[in-house]
Amino acid sequence: MESKDQQELAQAQGDAVAMPASPDGTPAGAPVVAGRPVVRLPGLDLRYGSNAVRLTLRQWIVVGLVVVLAMSLVPPLWERLEPLEDAPDYRVPFELSNDYWLYQRWCRRSAGRGDVLVLGDSVVWGLYVLREETLSHCLTAAAGGRRRFANLGVNGTYPAALDGLIDYYGGDIAGRDVVLHFNLLWLSSPQHDLQEERAGEFNHPALVPQFWPNIPAYDESLSRRVSHVLDRNVPFFAWANHMRTSRLGRGDLPTWSLEHPYDNPAQAVRLEAPAKADERHEPPVPWDHPSRRIGKQAPAWVPPAWVLLERSIQWRLFQSVVRTLRERGNRVVVVVGPFNEHLLEKNNLAVYRRLRDQAVAHLRGQGVACCVPPTLPSELYGDSNHPLAAGYARLAEWLVEQEEFATTVMGSR
Amino acid sequence: MLFHTWTFAVFFLIVYTGFRLLRGTRAEMPWLLGASYIFYGAWNPLYLVLLLYSTAVDYFAITRMARSSRRGLWLGLSIGNNLALLGFFKYRRFVAQNVNALLDWAGVRLAVPMVDDILPWLTADVNSLVAALGLHYTVPGLGTLPVGISFHTFQAISYAIDVYRGQTPRESSFIRYATFVSFFPQLVAGPIERSTNLLRQLGNTNPITRDDIADGLSLFLVGLFKKVALADYLGQYVDKVYAVPGDHHAPALVLATFAFAWQIYFDFSGYTDMARGLGRLMGFRLMLNFHNPYLADSLGDFWSRWHISLSTWFRDYVYIPLGGNRSGTWATYRNMVLTMVISGVWHGAEWGFVIWGLLHAAGRAATRELEQTPFYRERVPHLVKQALVFAFVTFTWIFFRAKTWGVASLVVERIFTSGWADPEFPMLAMAMILAVWAYQHAYESRSARGVLELAPVRVALAVAMAVYLVTFLAPGAAQAFIYFQF
Repeated sequence: MESKDQQELAQAQGDAVAMPASPDGTPAGAPVVAGRPVVRLPGLDLRYGSNAVRLTLRQWIVVGLVVVLAMSLVPPLWERLEPLEDAPDYRVPFELSNDYWLYQRWCRRSAGRGDVLVLGDSVVWGLYVLREETLSHCLTAAAGGRRRFANLGVNGTYPAALDGLIDYYGGDIAGRDVVLHFNLLWLSSPQHDLQEERAGEFNHPALVPQFWPNIPAYDESLSRRVSHVLDRNVPFFAWANHMRTSRLGRGDLPTWSLEHPYDNPAQAVRLEAPAKADERHEPPVPWDHPSRRIGKQAPAWVPPAWVLLERSIQWRLFQSVVRTLRERGNRVVVVVGPFNEHLLEKNNLAVYRRLRDQAVAHLRGQGVACCVPPTLPSELYGDSNHPLAAGYARLAEWLVEQEEFATTVMGSR
Repeated sequence: MLFHTWTFAVFFLIVYTGFRLLRGTRAEMPWLLGASYIFYGAWNPLYLVLLLYSTAVDYFAITRMARSSRRGLWLGLSIGNNLALLGFFKYRRFVAQNVNALLDWAGVRLAVPMVDDILPWLTADVNSLVAALGLHYTVPGLGTLPVGISFHTFQAISYAIDVYRGQTPRESSFIRYATFVSFFPQLVAGPIERSTNLLRQLGNTNPITRDDIADGLSLFLVGLFKKVALADYLGQYVDKVYAVPGDHHAPALVLATFAFAWQIYFDFSGYTDMARGLGRLMGFRLMLNFHNPYLADSLGDFWSRWHISLSTWFRDYVYIPLGGNRSGTWATYRNMVLTMVISGVWHGAEWGFVIWGLLHAAGRAATRELEQTPFYRERVPHLVKQALVFAFVTFTWIFFRAKTWGVASLVVERIFTSGWADPEFPMLAMAMILAVWAYQHAYESRSARGVLELAPVRVALAVAMAVYLVTFLAPGAAQAFIYFQF
């Protein structure tokens, strides 16, 4: 019996000769079809292909079901099998800042323990300090054992990204007590506020609104935007990103293999992620140290060009974060700053303080508890907004003394 | 719009839904034509005007041809117009560069102008209008090569010649003819379809069967895997080595060339598989374009397996009209060499492509007689023949990839003189290539093929490919297909 391929080939060649021809140019003795002479044409190869991966519709349904099943079962199964570090001051490793599946897992763990969750960007994460020197650690110490504070900071999560992070990956922290840091750095220029079109490097593109509201600084193809939407709504894709990020060094398997040409990829994709010791990401040196070149006299110094609240994209999305948390039943206290006011010129400082006070007034007007820490001593800042270790300690001591802070997060529930 | 992007997925979902709803109605062809024009216009809206122009000229010429006694004149208009477009957009810089070099060598103080950008004021005006409308889009200029121009011009030429020869009736519907020329699955990188196949099917309203859906999905999945998992992967190593061949030693250059041989195969055949898969989902059978070419046991066999739509095009519209093999040995070789050289030129406006074509012509000429001897046919082991053909073809790919004589000669020189250094070629890539090669051998083996065709094996392979694609490949920027540059 002829194979399907052979049947298709014969049919194609048969079809190819069945074309009626116009009267001229017909060779003598040509066969006749439907009263018109035909011309034998070059046979066209219309066979299926050159491989046997040819499934029936029923087999495709099986493939679809198997793939869907795998995609549904693998992430929760992997979560049960892969150990998650249980250190008291755990924070998502810096190089895994884009690993939202890990972040989601850490949210689930810390929320499950009843920790107070400290949310924010690298100020919360602790760019200049070790994990034992971060704000969450210092708050735990300052609270004298009454509450434990978990570091849920992620580097580079400006408010627009934090909104997406909490929305899509922070569902497990619902109903918990939250300390939410508001960093006014993100309103310090149109560029920081994402208002400049095609501004260049863009942190956490997968977290920001992909289609609406429009973010001028976010310039990405339609295809990537759709990809990001799928990533945040399909847990398997977040898990796959986790595997690539944690095992393959943020790349994918082909890129990893180019860097490790003779290594066995199966060994890279193992249950336990390679552990990396916690370390400071920046040297713990004050901002005005001569080696830092951040000071006002430095050639590269550009004074902030503060964006008004009513025009700020970041402020609008920060409010969305607050709204989401409150709708989910979280008790929220917002900590605004402390920005490094020592960096600012007199006029600039006045603008900054007005902006800060407006933000605080707006939040309090909505019934959100707010704390506005005093500016730390100059030598306790690493840059415009990151404290050093002693700065976090002082900040924590101040916060636990504040009534709004104590009322919101220090009391038991 | 690249097939392996979400943008295309959204586009195809909309187009396919409309197509299924309109199947068998008068709106079917306009819908398909509109979709094809949107697809092509997504690359550059200005080139859509070009496509419309060439389609209109061809349609007009062929209509006149059917009613005129001077049919050759109208055929000439159609072919001439297509070749003029192709020549101008694809070869103008190459011709100008080489003519100027010749003039310079001859001491003549003249220079052919290098037309880099075409009608820049038009592009600027269009972009101003786009910006005024508040759209965040920049229309590319007309200086770049229109995507797929080599394919749709050849497709149009084949139709014109077939009508002239009486091998196919003239299509009276402009919509259907325009759809044939611009059918989006095969518009930008083939297969170069014949009117006797695609145009005929466009006139059918046969229902789309379950087999069409199943085969379409199968073809698309395999093509997607070839392109994304294999071609783009190998391309990273090839690009790294060929970017600075002077920095690499013989093993890396050899392996990069070897990798390129597979990269271009996976890239091009993967695209074709996806194109055929998309066509099949809509009930259209596009022709087979690649048939395990690296299993060829002669150069003639290789060209019956590689880019079949192009090689048969050249056979039917260049080689046979030149006389084919009907006019004696000398004429046969002349026709063969000319056809191969033109084929090389078709691929691109660089000396590398010309040399590539010349090498294949020389190889074919040298081995044609040998391949017909009893010694070669019966005494040389099949694997040895395959290895020799593969080695020769891979060698010629050096010139194809390098594009210029300078880079190609540097690569060849360093392969023989630079000595040893660790090539750092990924074992994973080698394993994948060997696995594919073994699969192809098994497929063409009567005994092993039965195993490959077992349902559990087919399903397992499909699952493995799908899982690999979604798990281990980052959703990075999609790489364009190599053959888009033609």
